[in-house]
Amino acid sequence: MRTILKTLLRNRKAAFGAAIVGLFLALAAAAPLLAPYAPNQRAAKPHEPPSTEHVLGSTRMGRDVLSQTIHGGRTSLLVGFAAGLIVTVIGVGIGVTAGYFGGRVDEALNLLTNISLVIPNLPLMLVLAAFLGQTSPFVIAAIIGLTSWGWGARVVRAQTLSLRQRDYVLAAELLGEPAWRVITIELVPNLISIIGFNFIGSVLYAVITEATLEFLGLGDPMALSWGTMLYHAQTTSALRVGAWWEVVAPSLALAIFGSGLSLINFGIDEIANPRLRSLRIPKALRAAFAK
Amino acid sequence: MAFLLRRIAFYVAAFLVAATFNFLLPRLLPGDPVETMFAQSGTALPPESMAALRATFGFIDQPLPLQYGRYLASVFTWDLGLSIKFHPLTVNEVLWRALPWTLLLVLTSSLIAFSVGSLAGVAAAWRRGGRFDSFGAPAALMMQAVPPLVTSLVALYVFAIEFKILPTGFAWGAELDPGWNFAFMASVAQHAILPVTTLALAQIGGYLITMRNSMINLLGEDYIVLGTAKGLGDARLRFAYAGLNALLPAMTSFAMTLGAVFGGSLITEIVFNYPGLGYTLFQGIAARDYPLIQGQLLIMTLAMLGANFIADLLTLALDPRLRA
Repeated sequence: MRTILKTLLRNRKAAFGAAIVGLFLALAAAAPLLAPYAPNQRAAKPHEPPSTEHVLGSTRMGRDVLSQTIHGGRTSLLVGFAAGLIVTVIGVGIGVTAGYFGGRVDEALNLLTNISLVIPNLPLMLVLAAFLGQTSPFVIAAIIGLTSWGWGARVVRAQTLSLRQRDYVLAAELLGEPAWRVITIELVPNLISIIGFNFIGSVLYAVITEATLEFLGLGDPMALSWGTMLYHAQTTSALRVGAWWEVVAPSLALAIFGSGLSLINFGIDEIANPRLRSLRIPKALRAAFAK
Repeated sequence: MAFLLRRIAFYVAAFLVAATFNFLLPRLLPGDPVETMFAQSGTALPPESMAALRATFGFIDQPLPLQYGRYLASVFTWDLGLSIKFHPLTVNEVLWRALPWTLLLVLTSSLIAFSVGSLAGVAAAWRRGGRFDSFGAPAALMMQAVPPLVTSLVALYVFAIEFKILPTGFAWGAELDPGWNFAFMASVAQHAILPVTTLALAQIGGYLITMRNSMINLLGEDYIVLGTAKGLGDARLRFAYAGLNALLPAMTSFAMTLGAVFGGSLITEIVFNYPGLGYTLFQGIAARDYPLIQGQLLIMTLAMLGANFIADLLTLALDPRLRA
């Protein structure tokens, strides 16, 4: 595990991404200490523009936007990581099982995966969320987790299929190792880069999707997250009355956090597939070739 | 032929799963499913419409399998019931009215993103490690991490509200009558600029990366080396030799990402008050118009299946190995 992290952080893009994500995690963890006001406190007049007192202005309800953004990150990140975990566990479970056992099991699971990929996600989630009523952030995490595992399962299955042919897997089987042991000891550790890539991508997807569902009015409006902030900004027409800060703060948070995650994934991809690395060729060498 | 038949059977199965999901969900939730589904209709619908609506969704005095049969019969005759929010229109009428606008946004933005993204991907792979590759590729990836919700809100504020260069919403100028004339079409195009651009921006990164990565893997192949040794021109190698073959994975991802683009379009339409499926749905969600919400899942699934089928046909045309 340690060597994996070390390799990852040696990649400049991944290290930069990890720094961004780490910063957001720290902000969320220390929210009550760092936020200048309580998130639901009426700390200012409605729609006050940014000032030294309220760095990111105030909402229609006179709440401090900066404090809301810092506190809202707690829910958004928690939902993101929880949903990402569900997506990854289901995806890896189905993918490895299908790839390892093959035959009928594979056919059935592969069909299931392909069907889940071809039914559009957001419309499906809209139906689920609408029937479940004003859904709390955790129900949203569950909805995202249960509907979005298709990609992960497909990629993991493909990789398992190719690992399955390796000699060391055969050796373990000939030694009489039970299937669960071959899977957990021989296969999964070798899938770690794909699983990590899948997890980070799922977290990114979940954070965006949670914000989207809440923006659509399918979340619990009393919960505080980047999505509900945008929802309230939209219902109070913040943009149309010129209160851009109310929209910009959660938007920037989403965008920067998302970029951090995707930089990590870019790094994982480069480490796992060295051909993709964009090597900087030394200047002297380039000049020599140019001639 | 066998390939296509297998695909079609798969699409029918997938559609059946979506329909079954619609059928089961209200019945699995606690409480009376009829109550749940039509609670909002209360006074909006006259009793005979209510009875028709129940029948459409299989709420009949019969055991579950027969209810299921009744519901499937409605779905496969494309009777999606009555909309509660837009009474007296049927769900079908509401969705068909909105669908062309969504298709306009989705298809235009996808085509733009596919062309621009793929070309940029070829350029990045050709000079990998160069300036464009080291900054362009990560930038494109970061662009992809920005949700369409955020890009549309920012674009709306900057271009429509602050600088007032482009309209803030709707699909055409209020003073015009819809028709196939120049003034109307120009107005439609002008209103589509912001939604299409924001949607395209969200997709370009994906195509760039797919194309770049599959092209880099191809550039190491022997036939490329042979081409270089034969002294073929750069452009020919780049596009006809590597680019065309690298296009195959990009095509598959084109069809698969379409679902995400539909999702993005829903959001963009809501931000720009654009009269497509998303905006219609937004009103439906607020009114808890379940027949409409369920209908959009079916119509979106159908659109996805259609797109995948077209991709199958194109793959078949591009990849001779499948035609055996």
